[in-house]
Amino acid sequence: MSLLAAEIGGFSYHGDDAPALRDVELTLRPGTLTAVLGGSGSGKTTLGKILAGWLRAGAAGSLRGSLALGGERLEFSGGDGDPRIDPAAWSGRVGYVPQDAATMLSTVRHTVAEELAFGLENRGVPRPEMLRRVALTAERTGLGGLLDRNPEWLSGGELRRLAVACAVIGEPEVLILDEPLASLDPAGAQGIVRLVGDLRASGTAVVVLGQAADGLARSAAHWLVLADGTAVAAGKPWDIPEQVLRDAGVLAGDAAGGVRHPAPVDPAAAPVLELRDVGFGYARVGTGPARSRRLMSRPRLWRERADDADILPLLRGLDLAVVPGEIVAVTGPNGAGKSTLLRLANGLLQPRQGDVRVLGDPIAGVPAGLVADTVGLLFQQPRDQLFERTVLREVRFGLRRLTGPDGDPTARAMDALTAVGLAGSAAAHPAELPSSRQRLLALATVLTRRPALLALDEPTVGLDRHGLARLHAAVADAAGRGAGVLLVTHDAAYARAAAHRVLELDGGRLRETWRRPAP
Amino acid sequence: MRLHPLTALTAAACTAVVTTAAGSWPLSLAVAAGAALLAAGAGVAGRVLGSAAVILAPLLLSLLALHGLFFPEGRTVLAQWGPARVTTEGLGFALELATRTTASVLVLLLFSFTVSVPDLLAALAARRIPPQFSFVLASALTLAPGMAARLERIRQAQEARGLVVSGGFLSRLVAARLQAVPLVLALVDDAGVRAQALDARGFGNPGPRTSYRELEDPGGQRVFRACALLIAAAAVAVRLAGGWLATGLLGTGA
Repeated sequence: MSLLAAEIGGFSYHGDDAPALRDVELTLRPGTLTAVLGGSGSGKTTLGKILAGWLRAGAAGSLRGSLALGGERLEFSGGDGDPRIDPAAWSGRVGYVPQDAATMLSTVRHTVAEELAFGLENRGVPRPEMLRRVALTAERTGLGGLLDRNPEWLSGGELRRLAVACAVIGEPEVLILDEPLASLDPAGAQGIVRLVGDLRASGTAVVVLGQAADGLARSAAHWLVLADGTAVAAGKPWDIPEQVLRDAGVLAGDAAGGVRHPAPVDPAAAPVLELRDVGFGYARVGTGPARSRRLMSRPRLWRERADDADILPLLRGLDLAVVPGEIVAVTGPNGAGKSTLLRLANGLLQPRQGDVRVLGDPIAGVPAGLVADTVGLLFQQPRDQLFERTVLREVRFGLRRLTGPDGDPTARAMDALTAVGLAGSAAAHPAELPSSRQRLLALATVLTRRPALLALDEPTVGLDRHGLARLHAAVADAAGRGAGVLLVTHDAAYARAAAHRVLELDGGRLRETWRRPAP
Repeated sequence: MRLHPLTALTAAACTAVVTTAAGSWPLSLAVAAGAALLAAGAGVAGRVLGSAAVILAPLLLSLLALHGLFFPEGRTVLAQWGPARVTTEGLGFALELATRTTASVLVLLLFSFTVSVPDLLAALAARRIPPQFSFVLASALTLAPGMAARLERIRQAQEARGLVVSGGFLSRLVAARLQAVPLVLALVDDAGVRAQALDARGFGNPGPRTSYRELEDPGGQRVFRACALLIAAAAVAVRLAGGWLATGLLGTGA
């Protein structure tokens, strides 16, 4: 018996001539795990959203084919007479967790517990049952300690667990997870893997959408490989040749594949970045225990006003030096302060204690806009970094001051777009790019400024094989021309392949956990 | 004692209604001063008075210009420039309107800056107010902080790419111009995605709803609300009756 069966002849978004998805079939049975694999722009997310009723025939685009949920089969011909899916009823049975976890939140609930309960409230679940399910789901997803926290103040990894929990709490028969392990620390990733196992044991059909044949995908019984919007292979994982995966842009191993090991550097050289005895914390505000991870905060104001008792320390007595050409990887659990560390390096945040020097000069009091001439920061969420109307305008923003009156910012921006493989999308709108290309675009905006220090926050997340190759080349080039690279990652294999040193951030300090052996 | 959000809402709305109906500037001033004191007690005086200044300054200036200079019923002329006449009656009327508006605005701002939005939503949901209405209300009450947070993210993204924002007015103006379009685009984009997620979480469900958050609604506060509504209704009735009476007397006199 199948829970959900889809035969998609074609799906096109309104206003697009070419179908985003064509000739794809998928059948989901109770208690199974299915992996839909494909590179950037292959149509994975479109398929996931069609299955989950987020993209509905008629409302979002035109669908030819059929969807069968339980005993009911809906036929779509792409015309006006097509059946309409009721999103509330459909999504009660098919849960979906988008790649950008933040979009899952209601924005009108002020604690994690209430956010979890939001979907249950809307379905009229009695309060005692609601309390039971909130407690149970929080325990299963490791959110038990965060129930009173404001969802706005969660770190990236915590937010993803909350989004998964919001879908799981409705007890759907089918659960679709889009890149569920992105930006999770190893403990968080294990938690999700364990949760998927529990759900399958209780009869839920789980689908993971991803660009990598990682551990979770390898435990699936069925694979569907997509490329350019259509199925190129389907079947048992061991029946699908490696070459098919590679051609589709799927990462067969970890993100470390294809990394060029960096050349040795002179550790005695003058550092491009130096942090001395740096302490930092966010102010405790409001009802939550702490607004610790709230990056949009204004700590400069707090530094002047808040007493030490009101500060929740995050970093203390932290020392770090990065020399020219050196690549330093920082790992650590979700919420340890890794993104904060990068923001201290580019002046978006100012330390409460100690000092930060870039090319030997302290940056205290220097506007972040000027520090940006020497430090380029790739944000954890491309969505937070991109704001312009076209891809080209995005990369060209702020270049004029660097190129001077005689320079050609457009040509320089196009060079960076070519380096990340986006030259053909120069006129596109950044929000319309698949998320992996958004990350490459964000990378291009950093590369084009040719900074002395590259600060990269989770650069590998969401990139397919082709995207990773671009990233590896860009990092190696930057280090090759003498730039320092400080990168934050959860991917231990990538960190060891790409970096000279791996440091772990835990308890507010950095500790070296690995160093590249001398050649 | 913690106020139930509907008690606070009723108190604020009824105070505004009674003050408007009474139309007496000493009462209006007393209410405005009371609201300011309560705001200071709740630690939101700065925000309440700041917002009130932004709302009221243009309004009060226009009231003064309109009624202070051009009040047709004015008899006692204090000064005159061509068609513009400053009269005692005109100034009195402007003072009357200004104090009344100030009192109402302060009272309602005091409510909106002190109410707990989640509590208010829970209270509305418990009274079967359509959730779409509550959502719009909640979004409106949290719109300013939400937009400020989004703007902050855009500013950080631009600063990370070389936008220098110094403290100067001109520099801030240039920055604001650069951030306006991205802000609107981001909010529109957000709204589209958010709608899909809300649909998926059963937000459009027509059926009955329940609430996770429980609110205490003591009997005393319920009695208070009923009394406040009665007093407000009485004040409006007296005002209307007084108006009719006056019109009637003038009518027979003529």
